[in-house]
Amino acid sequence: MFDHVESFCRPASVPEALRLLQKGKGRARIVAGGTDLAVAGGDDVRVLIDITRAGLTYIRYKSGALAIGATTTLAEIEESPVLRKLAGGILARAAATCGSVSIRNLATIGGNMANASPAADMATPLLVLEAAAVVAGTRGRRRLPLGEYLADAAAGRFSKSILVEILIPEPPAGKRCGWSFEKLGRTAVDISLVSVAAGIQLDRKGTVTRARVALGSVAPSPMRAETAEQLMTGRLADAALIAEAAAEIARAARPISDVRASAEYRREMSQVLGARALGECVRQAEGGL
Amino acid sequence: MKTMELSLTVNGHARTFAIAPGDLLLDVLRREGYFGVKRGCEKGECGACAVLLDGKPVNSCLMFAAQAEGRQVVTIEGLARNGRLDPLQEAFLDHGAVQCGFCTPGMILSAKALLDHQPDPTEEQVREALAGHFCRCTGYKKPVEAVLAAAAARKTRSRRKPAAEVMQ
Repeated sequence: MFDHVESFCRPASVPEALRLLQKGKGRARIVAGGTDLAVAGGDDVRVLIDITRAGLTYIRYKSGALAIGATTTLAEIEESPVLRKLAGGILARAAATCGSVSIRNLATIGGNMANASPAADMATPLLVLEAAAVVAGTRGRRRLPLGEYLADAAAGRFSKSILVEILIPEPPAGKRCGWSFEKLGRTAVDISLVSVAAGIQLDRKGTVTRARVALGSVAPSPMRAETAEQLMTGRLADAALIAEAAAEIARAARPISDVRASAEYRREMSQVLGARALGECVRQAEGGL
Repeated sequence: MKTMELSLTVNGHARTFAIAPGDLLLDVLRREGYFGVKRGCEKGECGACAVLLDGKPVNSCLMFAAQAEGRQVVTIEGLARNGRLDPLQEAFLDHGAVQCGFCTPGMILSAKALLDHQPDPTEEQVREALAGHFCRCTGYKKPVEAVLAAAAARKTRSRRKPAAEVMQ
């Protein structure tokens, strides 16, 4: 599958990795966990650049935001005490549902984003957390909203740069917040048919002051359901509102039919999972009223 | 074809292999005679190719061999000590958890990593640890029972040990 690879490089820094990528002239590929690349194969690949030794494995606070290095594995995220607490642990919980233990020991958060699958399990909680992607290129680093990064990555716009870090701004905390991640897969290790992440904040009277909803596997890239968020904001978080918002989530979804599920089924399930996720958020947030 | 050297530890022995830069770890291990590493789906779905990398299970079909440079790999061949099977291997035999045996090496290695990390797992934790391993003949009931029995046996052994020392 990789019969034409001429060199396997293990750069010790990002600048070195970028130089190798530049030199590879479109025939070099970045390797982190390798789990997506190994399956995709690559007869055109001549150079493999393993960035797992380039200092990008970390979870740490950096000027008010939590920074996760691109080569941090999903197993490390699942087990991180910091991420198990942050925003009800939705990121750690999403990581725990991604593939099997043996995949999570290899697969990285950077790879999960850079591969730009519509079903990437880490994407929906990161969108709810309003995360940013930090991309390094020969002209320096730039930061862009994750949603934008995912759409651009799906279009193959980062062939000359490397995703180095995910930044999560401090999420709203306190008692009147609730967070949830829901995923539907055919088996425990299958990729998701639909995934929904949500976060809400209530005021003292139980009115929604902030709502974030993200959907996976129902559009070309993981997406925010902004119309559902707007619909909820300023209204009392009761069962009727959840039902209304879940219907709006299903309307916002743009699913396709494929080998795993029909578009109709995905749309219906995004409503079911949406209601479940929002219900869970409200339950958690109401616990603090 | 270009070749490169790969130096790593396999089953406790320092080894150096000549590999192609694009070789997958699965291909290299089988080429070097570790046939307990099974070639199954080659997509990370069946778990038959699992090995321990620095003590953690990974799918050897999903990683490049060169990624294992300087690291510790354990295959099923590395589990027996001085001709004696690992208690987990014994438990799989005792519980009839092996039929055709194709999935067994991967299952046992994942179970070993689980017990090293969590000596007293719940049934759910065992099922989660084995979720990445497909078995098409025995099913999952007996392997799960075998892992739980091995964990229980390990607990009894470690309780007995200090007592024996006291008596001496």
